[in-house]
Amino acid sequence: MKVLATYSIKGGVGKTTTAVNLAHEAAAAGSRVLLWDLDPQGAATFFVRVKPSVKGGAERLVTDARSLVANIRATDDPAVHIVPADFSLRHLDLELDSTKHPTRRLASLLEPVANRYDVAVLDCAPGITLTSESVFAAADALIVPTIPTTLSQRTLEQLTDFLAAEVNPPMVLPFASMVDRRKRLQREVTEHLMRDIPGFLPTAIPNASVIELMGVERAPVALYAPTSAAASAFKQLWADIAGRIWT
Amino acid sequence: MTRVTTFQVTGQTSSAVETLIELGFVFGAPVATTTTLLDTFDGRLHRAGMQLRMLESDRVDLELCGLDTPTAHVAVGESPRGSDDLPPGPFRARVAAVIDVRALSPRVRVRSLRTCGALRNADGKVVSLAELHDALHILDQPVRLDAEPTVEIHEVPGYEKQARPILEALSRHSFEGFETDTLTLSAAATGVDLDGFSASATVPLDPGMAAVDGFRLVLANLAATIDANWLGTLEQTDSEFLHDLRIAMRRTRTILAAAKNVLPEEVLDHTRAEFAWLAGRTGEPRDLDVYLLEWSRYTDPLGSSTASDLEPVRVLLERHREEVHTELENSLCSDRASAVMVEWRTWLAEPLGTEEIPNRGNRPLGQVVAHRVSRAHAVLLERGRLIGPDTPPEQVHDLRKDAKKLRYLLECFGSLLPERPRKHYVKRLKALQDNLGEHQDAAVHVEMLQDIAHRFGVAGTSSNTTNFEMMVALGRLTERLDQQRLAARAEFTERFADYDTPKTQHALDAVIEGMNG
Repeated sequence: MKVLATYSIKGGVGKTTTAVNLAHEAAAAGSRVLLWDLDPQGAATFFVRVKPSVKGGAERLVTDARSLVANIRATDDPAVHIVPADFSLRHLDLELDSTKHPTRRLASLLEPVANRYDVAVLDCAPGITLTSESVFAAADALIVPTIPTTLSQRTLEQLTDFLAAEVNPPMVLPFASMVDRRKRLQREVTEHLMRDIPGFLPTAIPNASVIELMGVERAPVALYAPTSAAASAFKQLWADIAGRIWT
Repeated sequence: MTRVTTFQVTGQTSSAVETLIELGFVFGAPVATTTTLLDTFDGRLHRAGMQLRMLESDRVDLELCGLDTPTAHVAVGESPRGSDDLPPGPFRARVAAVIDVRALSPRVRVRSLRTCGALRNADGKVVSLAELHDALHILDQPVRLDAEPTVEIHEVPGYEKQARPILEALSRHSFEGFETDTLTLSAAATGVDLDGFSASATVPLDPGMAAVDGFRLVLANLAATIDANWLGTLEQTDSEFLHDLRIAMRRTRTILAAAKNVLPEEVLDHTRAEFAWLAGRTGEPRDLDVYLLEWSRYTDPLGSSTASDLEPVRVLLERHREEVHTELENSLCSDRASAVMVEWRTWLAEPLGTEEIPNRGNRPLGQVVAHRVSRAHAVLLERGRLIGPDTPPEQVHDLRKDAKKLRYLLECFGSLLPERPRKHYVKRLKALQDNLGEHQDAAVHVEMLQDIAHRFGVAGTSSNTTNFEMMVALGRLTERLDQQRLAARAEFTERFADYDTPKTQHALDAVIEGMNG
């Protein structure tokens, strides 16, 4: 099982929409996917119409090795299962801190399901926290949505600097997110990022209203707007990622 | 695998659907669909707890179900013949890990008007699924075989409780429910064994039975294996058919050789000669199959440049493989081959007159097999001890054949032998066989490459530069394989010394005592 995490220090960059759409695309390409919503806002859980409920809350999820399996729910795609989030995950850092090896905890929780799924997609809350460090230890790759602005580029650099000091850091796969092709500056920054940042993926996800509609449709874009540019972009983004993680 | 309960709704399809609609199910439009269960000839996916379904309507989808794991799905252009035809990625990797080189073929196919329905909760989340198969008939039957229409109820992981009232409501209508799916029910209705063909060498035997009966049972089982693999070999469905056919023929020859004074001499002489001829046709095609299957394992260590220089050699081997397979096909389709099998099957099926049975045929099977196994072991030791550093490779090859014959005896009469002592002894024998196999495989492939080098040397190619680079690459490959052969040969002394010990003798004694005891 390959563990991917949609992650960014910044909030509001498209992590959750990316996680849900990548889970769908991975499944459409033949993978069995476990989507793990680690964000107490539970937006990924909402998008797949699952009730935001973690049995026993964050405490049991972190301390009981069987709890992850007990919380797994099927989504409407038979190949995608989800571990939903609820508001108790706001204490996830504290709960992890109370365990013996907090930064290894998420990896060890995933071990029992490693043969059941081909891909796990962890949808993370923003910031660099103890949970993020545990995510870094569990993940094979961080999928980093990056809005083509100077500020986003700066947070990407902060992340790569932080990971440079880690032992066995995950692969960092940034991509241009919420790109407004009408703005010249965004077009130029996107080109610069793709050209000059190592590992930057060549597919950009547009800033499209069809993606915002996910909140209404509560489904991946490809299911309600299969011919949209956004659906094609997510499909291509998954192909880019698959090419990196399975070579 | 997601839990599925299938109800046969004979003559009451609309009543079943009405019940589901009352419970809140919403159905889509019916779609004429052909649903196929794909597996290998020997049922590898089924035995691994997996199910590969192909759904053909205006599109073709594959679904891979496994134990305790989500159902993976992928769209394809057409029915896959093997794992290489699947799109790259985890789906292909999972199938390939189980089926290896075997081909996929339909085990059961049904045609139906398939209607999918879903029950959703207040959030619009699917909590239970239904599949109606109306106008259901099973395909690939001599005559059209209509089956009872079915309603499948699929539990959704995490929402299992929601399925209970649905199952109860359908049961109240007296519909018969089965904890399986429509395809599996259809397989059972047509007598398809989803475990596939088992090429087990042994059959249930009793040490006290007459040796003649035991030998005939073993030979009949091997004849059935030859028959089962005949068509797949002819059609080159996959390389395992020829492998299994060839092994069954070799085992037959070993058992016939061990049947002296157990089976009538004239039958033995004729059948041994005919199987020697038939098995002889299979050698070169199998060698080339193995060589091409293992090609990248041989050439990859030489580096990508050398591997690409060797491409003309691979093409030549491929062409040669096609030629020898055509020759094999001609042999298998010949009157002689047909006569061998017809006569042999007939003789095995007919009762044997008491006057025809030689003296040892009436002895207890256990006693005769014990003697044959002991003798084969003694021959192996005797011949192995004669092998020194200067012994010609042919003699090492003969020793390999002796070891194989002993192994075949143990396999074919396996049901007579106590399991633990047999495994213990076979482990020691296998260690020796592995070494002899490495030596022989390398020797055969070196010889084949030398032959190719000679052919290229004589014929040349269109480009002298290409020819030169290829000959250099060929030389490197030959050298590498010859080094493997020499390494195996150097290791032989140690391996044989490990086998030729009192421990091995004790292990074999335990096998024989267990059989007679």
